[in-house]
Amino acid sequence: MSAIYKRELASYFRSPVGFVALALFSFLSGFLFINQYRDGMVNISTEIMSLCSFFVVIIPVITMGLFAEDKRRGTEVIFYTNPISMFEVVLGKFFAAMTLIAILFLNVFLHMIITAFSGGVVNIGTWGSVIVYFCLAMLFTAIGVFASSITDTQIVSAIVCFVMILVVQLLETVSVLASAGVASLLSSSMFALEPDKINKASNNVAAAIAWFSPFTKTQDFRYGVFSIAPLIFCLSMALLFLFLTYRILEKKRWSQK
Amino acid sequence: MIEITNLVKRYGDIKAVNGISFTVNDGEVLGFLGPNGAGKSTTMNIITGYLSSTSGSVKVNGHDILEEPDLAKKCIGYLPELPPLYFDMTVLEYLNFICDLKKVPKKDRKEQLASILSMVKIVDMADRLIGNLSKGYKQRVGIAQALVGNPDILILDEPTVGLDPNQILEIRKLIRKLAQKHTVILSSHILSEVQAVCDRVVIINKGKVAAIDTITDLSTKLSGSTKLSLSFKGPEKDVANKLRAIPGVTNVVSVVSNEDTSIHQLEITAESDAKSDVRTAIFYTMSKGGWPMLEFRSMDPTLEEIFLSITSA
Repeated sequence: MSAIYKRELASYFRSPVGFVALALFSFLSGFLFINQYRDGMVNISTEIMSLCSFFVVIIPVITMGLFAEDKRRGTEVIFYTNPISMFEVVLGKFFAAMTLIAILFLNVFLHMIITAFSGGVVNIGTWGSVIVYFCLAMLFTAIGVFASSITDTQIVSAIVCFVMILVVQLLETVSVLASAGVASLLSSSMFALEPDKINKASNNVAAAIAWFSPFTKTQDFRYGVFSIAPLIFCLSMALLFLFLTYRILEKKRWSQK
Repeated sequence: MIEITNLVKRYGDIKAVNGISFTVNDGEVLGFLGPNGAGKSTTMNIITGYLSSTSGSVKVNGHDILEEPDLAKKCIGYLPELPPLYFDMTVLEYLNFICDLKKVPKKDRKEQLASILSMVKIVDMADRLIGNLSKGYKQRVGIAQALVGNPDILILDEPTVGLDPNQILEIRKLIRKLAQKHTVILSSHILSEVQAVCDRVVIINKGKVAAIDTITDLSTKLSGSTKLSLSFKGPEKDVANKLRAIPGVTNVVSVVSNEDTSIHQLEITAESDAKSDVRTAIFYTMSKGGWPMLEFRSMDPTLEEIFLSITSA
């Protein structure tokens, strides 16, 4: 696994990808920070949350080449024909991408130091936001790894990853829309239901969809309110996507199409 | 040693490989021949563990490729048709990466890489980016990659495809050198290459083994007779009659005849039997008659002819 990890991480900085991601992230985080700093009201949690909403752009760029490029160039043969398990390959690539995301985070870390030295607030809530950043990054990177394994074109992989992350980001909005839809459907005369039952049903639908949103799940972290469930949720979702990636790669070996 | 038994690989309704069985002995160079789409690459991919078979088994040094993949893969160095190279790495970085994957101990690494680099003659290229190398050098890096970890068996899929004639000769020389220490399976549709390098050939066609034998045995088996070509100066009819009288000669046919210069060429067919070599008799006959021999050579069917007659049958 370490061989794949080392190669993948180094390759980020052999190609423009690592530098582009770093530049983009530095610009965004710097912009968000300096805007607050100028007003004399720095809230690092707000900065981190805003950055998390840019994952939808940054993570597809970071993960799009992970497997797609190997497939296109024919280098995937190396993974299949050497004494290494495919899951190690998946993990190696995943951790390389996560490391790059951690490197990007050094920007924010710098802002935290500046804030602390200028007498600003860096408290338990700030660290809670840091945990949220890495939880979301872990989940979205796993989605990106998965998207990269289903195609041999980087652009397609990036678009698939973009859409999937977007859907996750919009889950709350989707839940509101879906509950409104359910409400209007049930209120038709055909069902003849009482209004409070309709209300209950639509609320349940909304709650069920929103349950999947990692954003809703972790929203209390920034106030220093921690719980283990969101962490397990993100970790298991990430593992699910990594496992799917592993199965897709193994499928190539067994496919009879 | 590789034992392949009843290998089948299905793609939908098509059987790309349909019941192939053969054994590769230690230390031999086995040529793997077949027209495009015969199933060469698929078979090699199955042997190396890149693909799985639908049924049948592959055992590498006694390890089944599906049941003990790590042990089996350790014995194999594989150069696929398209060398699996990372263009953004230097040759040395890349080979170190392969060392990591094959778990070559750190202490042996420097020595092993140095010997591989000098063997495939890419010492000068060690610090260059693979993407900037010429095709011939890329192929060498591909071979170097297969040699990492010192595997017993090398599997080379069309190693000379797309190279210029000089490079082809050098790669062949290299393969012959490698064959001294490794068991080599070499696939190709260039027959002269197989003829130049291999001890034994497996010819496959439409997913089935069409023939397995040494090249010499294949040629005699196929024709059942040897053919000789003779150019000489002298009267054609007399010579032809004299030659027909030699025991063992079954047929004499005129190929080129030029009455002005009285130089003729005959094609002589003889029973192929080691005991009755007709060549000495032909020599003495010509010598007694005072007819100078200008050219005398055996016309063993080339692999091309063997190949065509097998694959078109």
